Amino acid sequence: MSARTDSRLERLLGRVLLFGVTTSSVFLGVGLALSFVSGWSHLAGVLLTSGLIVLMATPVARVVVSAAQYLVARDWVFVALTTTVLVELLASLVAALYGRRL
Amino acid sequence: MPVVTRALVLIIFGAGAVAGSLGALLGVGGGVFLVPVLNLALNFPITAAAAISLTTVIATSSSVSARRAGQQLINLRLGMVLEVATAAGSLLGGVTAQMLAPATVQKMFGVVSAIVAILMIGRLDRRNVIRDPSADLGLLSGRYYEDESGGTVTYHVKRLPVALVASFVAGNVSSLLGIGGGVIKVPVLNAWCGVPLRAAAATSAFMIGVTATAGAVIYYGHGQLVPALAAAAVIGVQLGTWGGIRLGARASARWLKLLMAIVLFVAAALMFVRAGP
Repeated sequence: MSARTDSRLERLLGRVLLFGVTTSSVFLGVGLALSFVSGWSHLAGVLLTSGLIVLMATPVARVVVSAAQYLVARDWVFVALTTTVLVELLASLVAALYGRRL
Repeated sequence: MPVVTRALVLIIFGAGAVAGSLGALLGVGGGVFLVPVLNLALNFPITAAAAISLTTVIATSSSVSARRAGQQLINLRLGMVLEVATAAGSLLGGVTAQMLAPATVQKMFGVVSAIVAILMIGRLDRRNVIRDPSADLGLLSGRYYEDESGGTVTYHVKRLPVALVASFVAGNVSSLLGIGGGVIKVPVLNAWCGVPLRAAAATSAFMIGVTATAGAVIYYGHGQLVPALAAAAVIGVQLGTWGGIRLGARASARWLKLLMAIVLFVAAALMFVRAGP
């Protein structure tokens, strides 16, 4: 992969991150405003939880997009590296679900 | 778990705004300020403080990196190599955070950040820059345009194993204490691995989202993340970061290093106070 495609990937990842962080901020902001003005409600709770989930999914989406781009470019070393990171993130999800059951 | 009140939401929002602007100036997530506020001033359990802080770290990393994308300040390849180590460290930290006595870890953190602060002050005037802009670049090298000097900055990454170890430790500390881990990675990348401070900060900030996610997910699963308080902190930090980035573009690297050293000393002292005798 050349320096130019690296730069293109950088901008693509920037858009993924911007979309994720904007969406989650809107959910969190509206949810917070709702619960601040009229106390806790089911809607506010759903918005806050969705906002946090979108927020935590954002870096994961960034790694998925990176892995896909390196796959297209047949850059196997970086396919392996990004896939390893995904496996590690999946492991943390497993650790989280294990904690929930305790 | 802390009880959510309007006053508490406002306090956390304000603390987030201050932490965010300082974090943006230093290339750290801001958690290094937020965790002591939540843990020391508001008496949150360290796990709840870390959980809230980690969500703000994800948001900061994402928005800062989104803004920087295209400037080539982020060394993508170096970031993706080191992410393997930070995510592993973070995963381990998140799991052990559920078992360890926080005082032990906090004392370790205090020592590490004080050492790094001394290191930063010792290398205030050193520049890790190759003057020739046409120099042949290897796979993990970087090149970016610097407004301050009006020139292209080129550098080679040295001692990759050191960077990997530092990243693993940073990931571990990140999960345990709810900080981004930039306080460890940025100085090591800068002092030992030949990465200029601006590029080290940008690359570290880029990786931190993944690091913090691995930790935050574990706290969330254990029911240690209070959504309304995390939301207040995230929105506060976002606004603070927005202000800090504007200041940061004008700040010199020397000034940034000095400020960072002071911040590290303060963080170290606070951790020791919290850990007790």
